[in-house]
Amino acid sequence: MDKRIITFIGIFVFIVGIYYLGNGNIFVNDKNTIFVSVIIVSLTISFYIQKARSGEEIYLRPLSALKAIEEAVGRATEMGKSVLFVPGISDMDQVETVSGMVVLGHVAEMTASYETGLNVPVSKAIVMEAARETTSEAYLRAGRPDLFYDDMVHYVTEDQFAYAAGVNGIMMREKPAACFYQGKFYAESLIFAETGNSIGAIQIAGTGSQAQIPFFVTACDYTLIGEEFFTASAYLSGKPEMLGSIKGQDIVKSLIMVSIITVLFFDVFNQIGLLNFNITKFLTF
Amino acid sequence: MLKRIIPLLIVVSIGLLTLFGHFINVEFIQDFVDNDSTQWYDIIASFAIFLGALNLIKLQSLNIIRKKKNWQYSLLAVLSFFLVIFAGFFFRGTNYVELSGIHNKEELSFIVSKLTKSPQEQILSNINSTEAEYEIPKIYMSGSSAESLLNELLPFADSGEVKQKKWGAHLNTDGSLFYWIFDYIFTPLSATMFALLAFFVASASYRAFRIRNFEATLLLVSGIILMLGRVPVGALIPAWIIGYICVLGIGAGIAPFIKNKQTFLGIILILFIINTGIAFLNGWNPEAPSFLFLPNLQNWIFTVPTAAGARAMMIGIALGIVGTSFRIITGLERSFLGE
Repeated sequence: MDKRIITFIGIFVFIVGIYYLGNGNIFVNDKNTIFVSVIIVSLTISFYIQKARSGEEIYLRPLSALKAIEEAVGRATEMGKSVLFVPGISDMDQVETVSGMVVLGHVAEMTASYETGLNVPVSKAIVMEAARETTSEAYLRAGRPDLFYDDMVHYVTEDQFAYAAGVNGIMMREKPAACFYQGKFYAESLIFAETGNSIGAIQIAGTGSQAQIPFFVTACDYTLIGEEFFTASAYLSGKPEMLGSIKGQDIVKSLIMVSIITVLFFDVFNQIGLLNFNITKFLTF
Repeated sequence: MLKRIIPLLIVVSIGLLTLFGHFINVEFIQDFVDNDSTQWYDIIASFAIFLGALNLIKLQSLNIIRKKKNWQYSLLAVLSFFLVIFAGFFFRGTNYVELSGIHNKEELSFIVSKLTKSPQEQILSNINSTEAEYEIPKIYMSGSSAESLLNELLPFADSGEVKQKKWGAHLNTDGSLFYWIFDYIFTPLSATMFALLAFFVASASYRAFRIRNFEATLLLVSGIILMLGRVPVGALIPAWIIGYICVLGIGAGIAPFIKNKQTFLGIILILFIINTGIAFLNGWNPEAPSFLFLPNLQNWIFTVPTAAGARAMMIGIALGIVGTSFRIITGLERSFLGE
């Protein structure tokens, strides 16, 4: 057996052992399953990060939406129009917004290289600061800090529909050639996407907001659906450890699938009386 | 270098503390995770709003000063901004009349009910239940209007005075300038934007439902079943009619594979006869067979295939969030710091 696997199993046993010993005293005793799940997920991802670091090649299927970013920025450059980037209406406490910032960095690097205008209207002041930092660094990386100015990332308003009206106004007046919607969205998603569609912009969306995915799929040219959106940063960075974490995530997904099927069989057998073991009760101990 | 390391250290330490704080049985850590950390965030976010507001004003003012294209909109934005600031911080506009020692309750309740368009009995009961001062339930933006009301009502009471609601309370007082702006400008504008969704949903649905391939057709059929099944008229369509439609659908599906027209017609006729036979055996019951009854069919689509797809997506999203959070907490993901 691989030495690394033994080490990770050892770490798992050690941590769970400490948790077991301190259960009820140092540790709370009603979150056992959650704790074990967190440790399994963390160790699995760490294991694959280690593997990737040691040089194992990791294949990621191509994501058309990420490949289309260059096409969209290129189109805007050819048309002499700007690129609009909407990072959603949530604050930096949402992982979707953080993921949106990652994609913004990538888009900003391209707009800097192609000398294309970038417009980032935001609805939260903290997001404005983070987006400015990300954009300025991207322009620096692209070797064009002279093209960056603070107001390319600007504040519109906190309110959902006022923000939607503001962004729609920008779309209708400036008619950007490419629109990116990357972040957490609510009901305003379709308003943005349909307006973008009406002005003939190439649209690339990415969100983890489950209810908004169908709207984006319908109205946008490309959509990063759910977990694809969260892998964007790892995908775009190309760093082995980041790619390893994606592989770890996929393995966790396989484990979840196996768990679902196992629980289903155990529960069915228990209910028809072939097995005297209540797995649901065991898992919620 | 420190510009990178210090924020990263804060992110990693607070991230780990928040994650493991859920499992550690120490009160102050639990308190930090559940209350303090979120309050800290709220405080920081509240201060950050100044940055946003300043940026907004700076940008719009520059548009006006430089007379950029569409500068008139910027003027409107700046004026609206200062109007709301004025209504929120400098002008309460919540004048009301307070009377004490009321001696003609009947007459007063009649006038107040006309003024506030409320039932007289209710006003009278409110006046009767008041022990000392009675507040006339009508807010005036200007003090002079309240003064003239006071003069009008003084004959019914021993004394009275014009008062104002406290600072802060004026934001939630119906009749104040701030409340008026919220009620008559902000809310209708927001509702207008929200209402646009209805039209956008229609145009998006049209695009999604256009029959281009098998998936789009499936979406169209499911959409029609869901829409019909969720309205009362859906329950009026007998299940056997849906059976006939299904037969026609099967016919459309198998038509390209059967070259002989007589065979094709024969199959369709047999299916029609089977469907008619089932309907006859069920006494032409509109709800039988139950799986073809539209409300049941839409319910099945909603609770089985849709829920399964949505849950699969939800698991993927949750895993994505866990993976990203893990990368942030371990310091692998630093792109949000500009790296």
